[in-house]
Amino acid sequence: MAVLEARGLSKTYRRGPAPVRALDRVDLDIDRGRLFAFLGRNGAGKTTFIKIAATLLLPTEGELHLFGHDVVREPSAARRLMALVPQEGKLFYHMTPREHVHEYLRVRGVSAETAKSRTDTILDEMGLLPYQNVIALRLSGGLQQRTLVAMVLATEAPFLFLDEPTLGMDPFARRQVWQVIRKATGRGSTVLLTTHYLDEAEQLSEELAVIEGGHILYRGTGEALKSTVGREVRVQFTGDVRPEELASFGKVFAERGRTVVLTTRTSVPELTEFAFARHLEITVGPVALEEAFLELVGRGIEEEE
Amino acid sequence: MSAGSQAYAALRICYFNGILPLWRSPLLIAAVFLTPFSFLFFLFVIAPHALFPYGVVGGILFTALFTGSGMLNDCAYLRLERQLQQVFVASPVSPLAYILGMALSELAFSLPAMTLFVIILFLVTPIGPLAGLGLVGLLLLTWLMATSLGFFISTLFSQLREIWPVGTLVFSILSILPPIFYPATEIPADWRWVAFLAPSTFAAQLADRLAGLGGAITTNVPLLNGPLFDVAGLVGFALLFGVAALYFARWRER
Repeated sequence: MAVLEARGLSKTYRRGPAPVRALDRVDLDIDRGRLFAFLGRNGAGKTTFIKIAATLLLPTEGELHLFGHDVVREPSAARRLMALVPQEGKLFYHMTPREHVHEYLRVRGVSAETAKSRTDTILDEMGLLPYQNVIALRLSGGLQQRTLVAMVLATEAPFLFLDEPTLGMDPFARRQVWQVIRKATGRGSTVLLTTHYLDEAEQLSEELAVIEGGHILYRGTGEALKSTVGREVRVQFTGDVRPEELASFGKVFAERGRTVVLTTRTSVPELTEFAFARHLEITVGPVALEEAFLELVGRGIEEEE
Repeated sequence: MSAGSQAYAALRICYFNGILPLWRSPLLIAAVFLTPFSFLFFLFVIAPHALFPYGVVGGILFTALFTGSGMLNDCAYLRLERQLQQVFVASPVSPLAYILGMALSELAFSLPAMTLFVIILFLVTPIGPLAGLGLVGLLLLTWLMATSLGFFISTLFSQLREIWPVGTLVFSILSILPPIFYPATEIPADWRWVAFLAPSTFAAQLADRLAGLGGAITTNVPLLNGPLFDVAGLVGFALLFGVAALYFARWRER
């Protein structure tokens, strides 16, 4: 059952010299208990969508219902069911992680006993116990972000909007956050996540959408998106090699001084022999979501042009 | 959330946004004291001593009005710089509970200075219990008016840099230029009407009356000369700014 339903959702910003169409007739359904990821470049429309859904921004056209409540006409009813990690949110500088989580729960009407127990649990799960009584001013950026995410996940709200929740976190902290997010969906919460970390989207989401220029270019599973590339293997060469020499094996491109070929499994032995013969360093791995994303977004831009 | 829960949410916001920072950084109290005490000090040094009680009343009102400036800056900072207002918007906390909580935090910041000025006032001019109660009511109304205005203005801008000069301008016009630290009768007769464009003039005239000080503006219309006119003026402005804060403030971006 869809708990978020967007129909023809559009947003045009009229602040600058020319109007900017940030969302263009977007239709989207998200089912209860799903972890849905929104992928897209900066300015693609991800945050605009979240802001409208989280009742922070009015759409120009279209409708969005959250648990059946129209977010424009019945914002109070929708707000009762949600919590949000805003993009680049920061903490109250004078408060500790424990105070942030506990006070936010109390403000939302959670009883003292439940707030205390949930605070203890989330601080433990997010690895924040050693810093629980340190004021935010003295916490690193990653710990501050973890606290903000802890605050919101502790609400156990039926719908969680997480706008780049792991921004600035180290890989260990990110994995800790992933676990807590998975636990939230296991409990029945629905999560809408935006991220620039494609590995994060791949690890976490059951379903994702790629948005570009306010349009949804793709919607489905990460695996299905990867299969659209048409090649299963990514072969990377370090050393002196010209792209034309590899063109017959598949799609070739340069990346950070290396030459990358997206190809089929059957080509790997031949490419390995080629590398040995030319004394090139070779790395072979599966095609990642990143390739599929870049292919898709790149194609979208070309089509627009 | 019930009305009781919303009221409790406001108190909680006051606790962690007002009382907790004061407790951890008591120097913040000095920041509120500094400007009105400087004005009072100058008055004490350069003005006839008969004007000193006006300066004390001015100090009380200034600290009450200062809550509006604090509200403007804090709300803008939490919304634009820290993105924390958004965390409260996307929650069961009502706009009214958030605004009230923020306004109470500002009151917490101003209360120590306000209390000290009230004590000084009691020392320099005798005030009866009824006038004392009236003064408390007047300060609460001034606080409501100033914080509503502060919140409303804070929602109109999308850049902190735009808000700071506007805040300074508005609250200087509200708390320094009107007859707060001096009797309204000091304003040239032809220009006295201008003073009534500022809600703080009504507050100052009322405060001076409650403190038993003269100096209220009198006109040929008897209805406009009594305290009721000042009460009506102040309530009118408080309602206007309150409605603006609740209904026209941009709780949600457009």
